[in-house]
Amino acid sequence: MGLLTDPSAGQGKLIKLLLKYYAKLCVLLYTVGIVYFCALASSQINSSTYFSENALLPGLVRSEFMDNTMAMNYFDELKHEMKKYDDSIPYPWLLAKFRQLGLDTYTHNFSLNYPLGASQKFTGKNVYAIIRAPRAASTEALVLSVPYRPPVSVHAPTASSIAIMLAFAKFAVKEKYWAKDIIFLVTEHEQLGMQAWLEAYHGVTCGKKDVLISGDMKGRAGSIQAAINLEIHEPEIGQIDIKIEGLNGQLPNLDLFNLSGKMALKEGLSLTFKNRLAKRLKSLWRDWIYAFQTMMSMVVTQATGVPNGNHGLFYRFGIQAVTLEGFSLPNPKSNRAGFYTIARILEGTFRSLNNLLERFHQSFFFYLLSATDRYISIGLYIPAICLLAATFMIKAYAKWCQLHNNNKTDEKQAGGDAKNQLSDDVVKELEMKHAALTQGDWEQKFEVESEKPPNDKHVGLGHVSLVYVLSHVVGFALRDLPKYMSHVGATYGYSTETSIYGTFAAVSLLGVLFPLCIRRKPAYKSMSFLNIIALLEVGTALICLAMYNISIAMFLAAIYAPATLLINPTRCGSCRIVQRVLWLMMHPFVVFNVCIAVFTFTAFPNDSLEEVFYRALGASRQAMVYSIVDSEIYGNWLYNMITMIFVSTWLCFYYVTFGKADPSEQIIKKKSD
Amino acid sequence: MTMSRKNLLLTYSLAVGVRYLFLHSDFQKDIVNRIEIQTPLNSFKRVVEGRYRMSLGIDPYESDSLHVPPLHLTFYTFLIDNFPNYLPYIFMLIDLLTGHCLYTFARRYMLKLYIKQEKNKHTYAEDALSQLLEGRDLYLPPQYALVVFLFNPYTIFNSAAMTTTTVNNLLLSLFFVGIIYDNLVISLAAMTLSTLQSFYPVIMIAPLYLTVYKRKESHLQACLTLFIYALSVIGIIYISGIIYNGYQFLDQTYGFILKVPDQQPNVGVFWYFFMEMFEHFRLLFLFSYQMNVTVLYFLPLTFKFREDPPLLAACFVTLIAIFKSYPSIGDFALSLALLPCWKHLYSCMQQVFISSVTIVITTALAPILWDLWIFWGTANANFFFGATLAFVTAHIFLVTDISFAYTKREYLLKYGNCRQINGKDAKLVLE
Repeated sequence: MGLLTDPSAGQGKLIKLLLKYYAKLCVLLYTVGIVYFCALASSQINSSTYFSENALLPGLVRSEFMDNTMAMNYFDELKHEMKKYDDSIPYPWLLAKFRQLGLDTYTHNFSLNYPLGASQKFTGKNVYAIIRAPRAASTEALVLSVPYRPPVSVHAPTASSIAIMLAFAKFAVKEKYWAKDIIFLVTEHEQLGMQAWLEAYHGVTCGKKDVLISGDMKGRAGSIQAAINLEIHEPEIGQIDIKIEGLNGQLPNLDLFNLSGKMALKEGLSLTFKNRLAKRLKSLWRDWIYAFQTMMSMVVTQATGVPNGNHGLFYRFGIQAVTLEGFSLPNPKSNRAGFYTIARILEGTFRSLNNLLERFHQSFFFYLLSATDRYISIGLYIPAICLLAATFMIKAYAKWCQLHNNNKTDEKQAGGDAKNQLSDDVVKELEMKHAALTQGDWEQKFEVESEKPPNDKHVGLGHVSLVYVLSHVVGFALRDLPKYMSHVGATYGYSTETSIYGTFAAVSLLGVLFPLCIRRKPAYKSMSFLNIIALLEVGTALICLAMYNISIAMFLAAIYAPATLLINPTRCGSCRIVQRVLWLMMHPFVVFNVCIAVFTFTAFPNDSLEEVFYRALGASRQAMVYSIVDSEIYGNWLYNMITMIFVSTWLCFYYVTFGKADPSEQIIKKKSD
Repeated sequence: MTMSRKNLLLTYSLAVGVRYLFLHSDFQKDIVNRIEIQTPLNSFKRVVEGRYRMSLGIDPYESDSLHVPPLHLTFYTFLIDNFPNYLPYIFMLIDLLTGHCLYTFARRYMLKLYIKQEKNKHTYAEDALSQLLEGRDLYLPPQYALVVFLFNPYTIFNSAAMTTTTVNNLLLSLFFVGIIYDNLVISLAAMTLSTLQSFYPVIMIAPLYLTVYKRKESHLQACLTLFIYALSVIGIIYISGIIYNGYQFLDQTYGFILKVPDQQPNVGVFWYFFMEMFEHFRLLFLFSYQMNVTVLYFLPLTFKFREDPPLLAACFVTLIAIFKSYPSIGDFALSLALLPCWKHLYSCMQQVFISSVTIVITTALAPILWDLWIFWGTANANFFFGATLAFVTAHIFLVTDISFAYTKREYLLKYGNCRQINGKDAKLVLE
């Protein structure tokens, strides 16, 4: 309790040290944080994955699936059938096949009212079939899902996955050991169908009301424990990739990832994560570089908060899921795995999942992967984001102490050296005088005293709160305005992309120009205070974000921490310009565009600069629309979070640069002159 | 200088505006049902249910749903029956009244501080002048108290959820007004009603006693006041028992508060502890936890702050909010709004910034961890409890800080800022 009771703690020395070195301390923390985060990829620091849930008993049973020819037949039939349906799902065929196997088979209709632009309506249809568990009362279920992709789809085909699914269903329906229902689900329109199905299954709406209308469902199984999503592109594949990044950066339980990985390895398939094999390189440096690249590609995917497969939508419902994506390799000799192998992987996985006694809860939910068999747990990566968030907090604390110290010195100067030791007579006289005063007299004296003008300039709280509230109003407006403008734009014939991008750019520009119109410079202390609040808000937001999505938190912290450190009201005109230019570069809109441009440039390195520019512009416009649509349909909060917190605080910091210079700075300068 | 009437009106209308906007926003439904705001004890839904059961002729205290005492239930029934469509606005009004009470209290408190300072000025050390209150030091705290109370999200959410804590806050703030104006009727009535509702304000007898004693300088009269208080509490319970044909409600109200049978998570410390603990230790820890709220700090703080009953009462309000069995953020709203009255202690305080930042972070973090625990199923109870524990600890630091700052300021006023003995730097040690 020394911390609480020591009356002299924090009196001077520590705070003086902090005030003197806080900038250096922040730089140090920032560097250590970044270096530490990068070092996490090294196998010297992170650890290898292991099974935490005993009940899974992975790979303990002998695989029994043999029916390769059946799968081949299904595949050929489906290919033939698909030709009849150009851009929709061949559901009569699917229904017939599932019914033939004796499963409870249902269809599920959903529709989407496109939330932007001129109102449009899309419809879709999912097909699903349920094997009822012979050994339990349909209280729990597992899901095997495949996104159906018609021939016109831009994505790689998944017909072979459906063939495998059917073959596996045919195999599984005969077995007596299932203790959990198995749902075979074929979804349409990629993630849309999956989201609609999940919402209908659980009877909820995740996004805005009346956008995705998930409809009703005729048949249900028990509560879903785990799901495997299949995206096998070819009948013969050479490697299998496990995808895990979900909505808002959520991840599945590490045990499920390990389980499917182990099953793939057991069947002799090469396993990749982010299309990268687990490699052990002899040189420590190269090993780290390789692992770091793998980790960073996960960080990039996770940071967007957009699921990279249908598995990512399950997490919101507390269901663990992964996508197994199978690729054929360019060298035909290495594509040794056919339907047989993959169905055996599925068999192993589902039989392990069948053993589960409770929901997945043992292993990690918060981790980063640097290879298929190395993980970085939350305990390891949290210090990195804490160090970065601490830079904001420490600067805020230092600023706070500065403000407070200034007040103190002012007061001391005002105090003077009046002697207060009085003789007894005077004291008596005083007491007599005080006793003579009535309550009313005291009140009058009090009024007079409190009307005395302040002896130093205090923080203008009204001013600060006005700026703070206004900048958040702008943030809120940016969240909703583009959507409305897209409706307005549609009536005037503008495309959704143009109206949204234009609105965002216009509002951002207004936010930038507005403070320029104010003639009077805001007081130093007020701006210092605003700076403190904004720093605290960003710091808090980063810590909160890190709980959901470490990648986006790291990314934002890494780019904002250095820039916010430089934001201080100063006298020097050129510093001010540098500050503002730098800070303009940090506007979320600019950062967003630059990120997209960099991605475009890396994706199309051979194009000319002009081509890349137009491509990037198009991509940015598209991405902005997608992020708004995602938040409307799936409840992805990336766009809302950026506008409501980061645009708002950006404006606060921007306003701070307009403040008057630190008066103590002036005093020092005069002295040095 | 009083805050001009225009400014005051502006503040109130802004407060109403913010509440109105919140009431009609998309978040309203998601936020008001959160466990940080509604506990089994203060949930208005349960009151509505109790009223309905009563109208059907069923004893509302028969099942485990209603924990509001009969007198208060009658009041809420009256509200629900007569103004069914204006309930949110009534709670808004209660909020404004609470804010105004706090404002009145703070102004009067500053006046008292000023009088005390002027009277004792000659006894202060010569270099303690920087500690003296002048100008804005006296003029700002009431405004801060008002603004902090009315625009604190805790308060806004609390009144939007129409919790009974809103009413309890009004009663407690009336009690503060009562003790600062030496008005026995108001303070006794407010305290009686507040004790009836949430029991813990019973420890407010200490500030009440001190107030009466300071004014009348007679222990007998002070004891008499407490006697009247006890009599009125018992009287009301007795009459309620006659009207409700029995005393089952005692077990459902005070029994519910003291025995803590409901372990729904909240921002406090009880639920996690009693959930994790072996059942046969329950009684032991029940006693120690309840003694922690009521008895442990009662005498020490009373002796230490005998000169300043409002400060004592404020410390008690915070301690109750921290350690009571079913705290909600509405309780903390009141304790935070009282802080500006001790703005003059700030220069002697040490961890205000750190504690406040912790409160802000944990307030943001707790709902997220709750979400991860309950909806995504990825985190667990420890995450959420960790956040609320940090939240509570920050409040403990805050209240401890204030009490030490009070002592330190007394010292500084007497002996001055100079901390040197024989030319060497000296250190203040508390023993």
